Formats: sequence, structure tokens, C-alpha cells
Amino acid sequence: MLASLMVGAARIDPLAAGRDPRAALVLMESRLPRTLAVVLTGAALSVAGVIMQALVRNRFVGPDTVGTSESAALGLLGVTLIAPGAAVWVKMLAASLAAMAGTALFVAVIRRLPPREIMLVPIVGLVLSGVIGSLVLFVAWQFDLVQLVSAWLFVGEFSGVVAGRYELLWIAGAAALLAWFAADRFAILALGDQVAAGLGLRAEAVMRLGLLVVALCSAMVVSTVGMIPFVGLVVPNIVARLMGDNLRASLPVVAISGAALVLACDLFGRLVRYPHEIPAGSILGVVGAAVFLTLLWRVPARG
Amino acid sequence: MRGLALSGLMAAALAAFTPLSAGAADVTVATAQGEASVPQNPAKVAVFDLSAADTLLALGVQPAGLPDKVYLKRFDDAAGAATKIGTLFEPNLEALAGLGPDLAIVGGRSATQREAVAKLAPTIDMTIGTDVLADARARLDAYGKVFGKEADAAALAKTLDEKLAGLKDAGAGKGTALFVMTNGNKMAAYGPGSRFGWLHDVTGLAPAATGLDPAAGHGDAISHEFIAQTDPDWLLVMDRSAAVGEEGPSAEATLKTPLVEGTKAWKAGHVVYLPSGDLYLSPGGYTALTGILDSLTAALKG
Repeated sequence: MLASLMVGAARIDPLAAGRDPRAALVLMESRLPRTLAVVLTGAALSVAGVIMQALVRNRFVGPDTVGTSESAALGLLGVTLIAPGAAVWVKMLAASLAAMAGTALFVAVIRRLPPREIMLVPIVGLVLSGVIGSLVLFVAWQFDLVQLVSAWLFVGEFSGVVAGRYELLWIAGAAALLAWFAADRFAILALGDQVAAGLGLRAEAVMRLGLLVVALCSAMVVSTVGMIPFVGLVVPNIVARLMGDNLRASLPVVAISGAALVLACDLFGRLVRYPHEIPAGSILGVVGAAVFLTLLWRVPARG
Repeated sequence: MRGLALSGLMAAALAAFTPLSAGAADVTVATAQGEASVPQNPAKVAVFDLSAADTLLALGVQPAGLPDKVYLKRFDDAAGAATKIGTLFEPNLEALAGLGPDLAIVGGRSATQREAVAKLAPTIDMTIGTDVLADARARLDAYGKVFGKEADAAALAKTLDEKLAGLKDAGAGKGTALFVMTNGNKMAAYGPGSRFGWLHDVTGLAPAATGLDPAAGHGDAISHEFIAQTDPDWLLVMDRSAAVGEEGPSAEATLKTPLVEGTKAWKAGHVVYLPSGDLYLSPGGYTALTGILDSLTAALKG
């Protein structure tokens, strides 16, 4: 966090912010918002990943590999076409609802698959996200909105973040917090329908709550910074290896790890070609893909 | 499908074997691919590049074929009178074969399609490279030769020279400039040697930022902090979303943060919103180029 406050294109002494108005301005307008945006994004996406994995009882899915993010983009595109001048909250609502619908579709499909086929689930997710992504691109192509859509569908980055342009991410943060309050229920749900019913859990309600959390997190991130790949997939896996499946204990760790990972990538992106930038999403794409392949390679102890 | 392919082949064969319109002499002109020999006074010209279309229209040549979407309002009349022959990126070869042009012009975004188009008509690549001014002049001169309008071309070139001299005067001793392209909420900067580097040459404004990558097609991604740190005397702004008619926040809305507002350029009112469509879509076209020079001159004289 401190490093992130220290690094940026403007050459200021962050420690002198008290005395130097320019340093204070840069800190409050650019450094702090950016750091918060990165941290919120990382935390929310990782938590969304955990919830997603609990919902479908499979370790190899994340909000960006099953069509959630693409659905959010589809919702945003729909609003842009139908009501271009719509208020921000309308756009967010559309993105969130679309993300929920897309995720629900995925879960419905998954429930029809034979439970022993561990690898089928991520594949179905990738197919679904590919289909929805293509649909978004096709519609955008028809209406000449490809560049607009690419801001959500392709590489996410934080270079445009300044005060007043990232606050929606707090909603994603709040959704992640909500998930933590209900952590035990998700942990039970992950054990299977029969176990959950036996313990007196209303699986349907928990399912809905989970969908809401995942959708909100994805939709806010997609609409604010774009696609941040692999975080929701990789971080929960690594933490689960170290801490097991007690979500109440592990969710905060997941959130912090996710935030740290995205922050590290964003910092790297700020420094490699200083003072110009490389999108954090590109770096995560490379890092995340490598980690994901490793995870696939070593089939986990707790499948 | 096979029928279509056959008709395409037939058209190609015809184009290859029928002698060009009677009495047409060939003329050799400079293109982006070196010297090329083309039929003089072609009756039907198919144009895939907006810079080319812009200069041709300035010379009073009406293209017979233009892209489906021409983006800029001032092309609407010409486009209405022309056959639609594909996009800026991809020719519609069926439509092109149907038009049967005597000459096809590709360039910029469509330059990669030269070989495909050349199967249907004599084709020249008239791309405007990073040396926009030199290329714009060379193209103007070449079109003058091809269409027998040397006198018109010379007159236009003279006007261009006058405008350039005027801009040089206006920009003398006016400090540094940073060129920023906004695309929705994102910003990118371009420096000397890039596709917008010529703006420094024509204005004489020194680049405020060093070390920008000239080869980056979409510029270098920058933050608001970067602009604050660079602190240019002039901000030259192009709004990419507006250029291609997309939704999104305007360049002004994107730039307007306390960090950018603290720069010398913003405080002095030296933020120049360039004609984005012209600059982005037809930078070396005659009307676009003179329009950009005019807006720069007006701003610098301010």
C-alpha cells in the first residue's frame, strides 16, 4: 500500500504532503484513489472467486472464466444501445442484473453435468464466456461500438483512476464484505445439497445471495476498470491450499491476498516503462495464466 | 457460393485481359510503395482511404466507390453519390467487382488489402505515413498528375504552404506541447516520430515529454499524474471516441481533474481540442490537413 502511494508519474515527496500543497493534491486526487481502486478490485474479485467456487463446487472457475464479466458487459452494452444517456445507477443495475443472469445460467448448466467430471465445469464456463463475449462483440460490431466494448472486455487497467472515477468499486467491496458475513453458509453449501439440507440450510437462498455477490463484484469492476483476469481463479486456490475450506477464517486472507496480487501487478505496470504504463490486466494475464496451468497440472489434494 | 467465386474470377480475368479504356495513356506517379504506373484520367475510381478521398474531393474528383461508412459529415454528399465498396479495413470485393473501377486507391487502414483489391483493378497504395506533410504533398502532386489537374494541385499546394508559414509564425516561441489522445476515460500520449508527431513540426512547439515510444500505434498509456508532472505549455487534444462517433465521456470531461487543471496549459487556456475526426481518420487529406492547421493557428494566436 505504501509503495503504491509512493509510486507515480508525478515526482513528489509523499511524506511532505502536510507542507506541500502540490504533493497533497497528487496524493488525494491520484495516488490514494488509485491504490484504493486496485485494492478493492483485487479483494472483491478474489472473494467473488471463492463464492463462485463454492456455488459450483469446483476449484477451477472464477468470475472471468464462466461468463460473468462478459454478461456484465452485455448488460452495459444493452443500456448504451437502448438508453445512451442513462444515469450511472441505471447502467450499474443493468450490468449487475445481466451478470447475475449470466452466472445463474452457468450454474444451471453445471448442475446438469455429471458431478465426477471435474474438468468439464471450467470447460463449460470457458465456452459460455466465449459465447457471451462473442455476442457482445458481434452486437458492438454491428453498431460500431467495438472500442467502447473493448474497454470492458479486454485488458483492464487503472491509469484512468482519479478521485471521483472509481467510487463504484466500493459497492464491490461492500458485496465482498456481505459475503464474509454469510461465509459459513457458503462453506456448508460447498459440501453438497444433501449435507446442506441436512444441516437445515436453505440452499436456494444462499445460492441467490452468492450470485448477487459475484455479480456485483464483477459488474462494478468490469464497468470501472475493465477485465482483470485470473485473480478470482488463482487467489482462492492458493489460499485454500494453505488454509483449507473454513471460509470464515480464509475469506479475509483471500481478500488481502487478492488485493496484494493486483497491487503488485499494477505497481509493476507503473514502473516497467516509467513514467508510462502497462495495463495491470496484461501482467495479470501472464502471471495468472501461468499459475492456473500449474494448478491444473498438480490436481489438488482437496478436489 | 461457387457461383460467387466464379463470378469473382471472371471479373478478375476480365480486368486482367481487357485493354483499359481506349486511348488511356499510363502515367507514372509516386506511391507509398514506390513509383507505380497507372492509367491516366481513370473514369471510375474506387477509394478505400479517407485521406485520399479528402484530397481527391478537394481537387474536384468525385470517387465512384467509397467505404460504407465515411464518418465525417463533409463526405456525406460524395458518399451518397458513390457505390459502397466495403469498410475502411476490408473491401467488399463483390461490390467492387460490380463497380468495375479503372483505378482503386487503398491506404492507411486498408493498405494491407492492396493485393486483394489489385485482382480487380489497377491499385495504388497512397498511405500517409508518419511524415504527414511530405506524404500529403506527394499524394496531392500524384493525384494532380493522374487526373490531369496539375494546375489545381499546384494552387492547393501553394495555399498549404501559406498556411504552414502562418502557423510557424503563430507558434514561434510559444513553449512546449503535449499531444494527448483520449478514448473514453483512458488517455494516451504521442511524441515525435509517432503518427501525430508532425504536430510538433508544424507548430514548432517542442515536445514536453521525452521518451514516448514513436512506434506505439495507440500511443503510450498515461495517467493524470503524468500530465501534471510533464506540465506542458500547450495541451493538444484529440478525442478518439468522438472521431469515430462513439459513446463515452468527452475529451474535456476526461481531462478535467484537479491534476490536469493545475498545469500551465490549462491555467492559460492553452488546451486545444483539435478536429478529431479529421486528425484521426484522414490526417493527410487536403481539407482535413488545412483545417487542422487553421485550428492550431487560431489557438496559438489566441
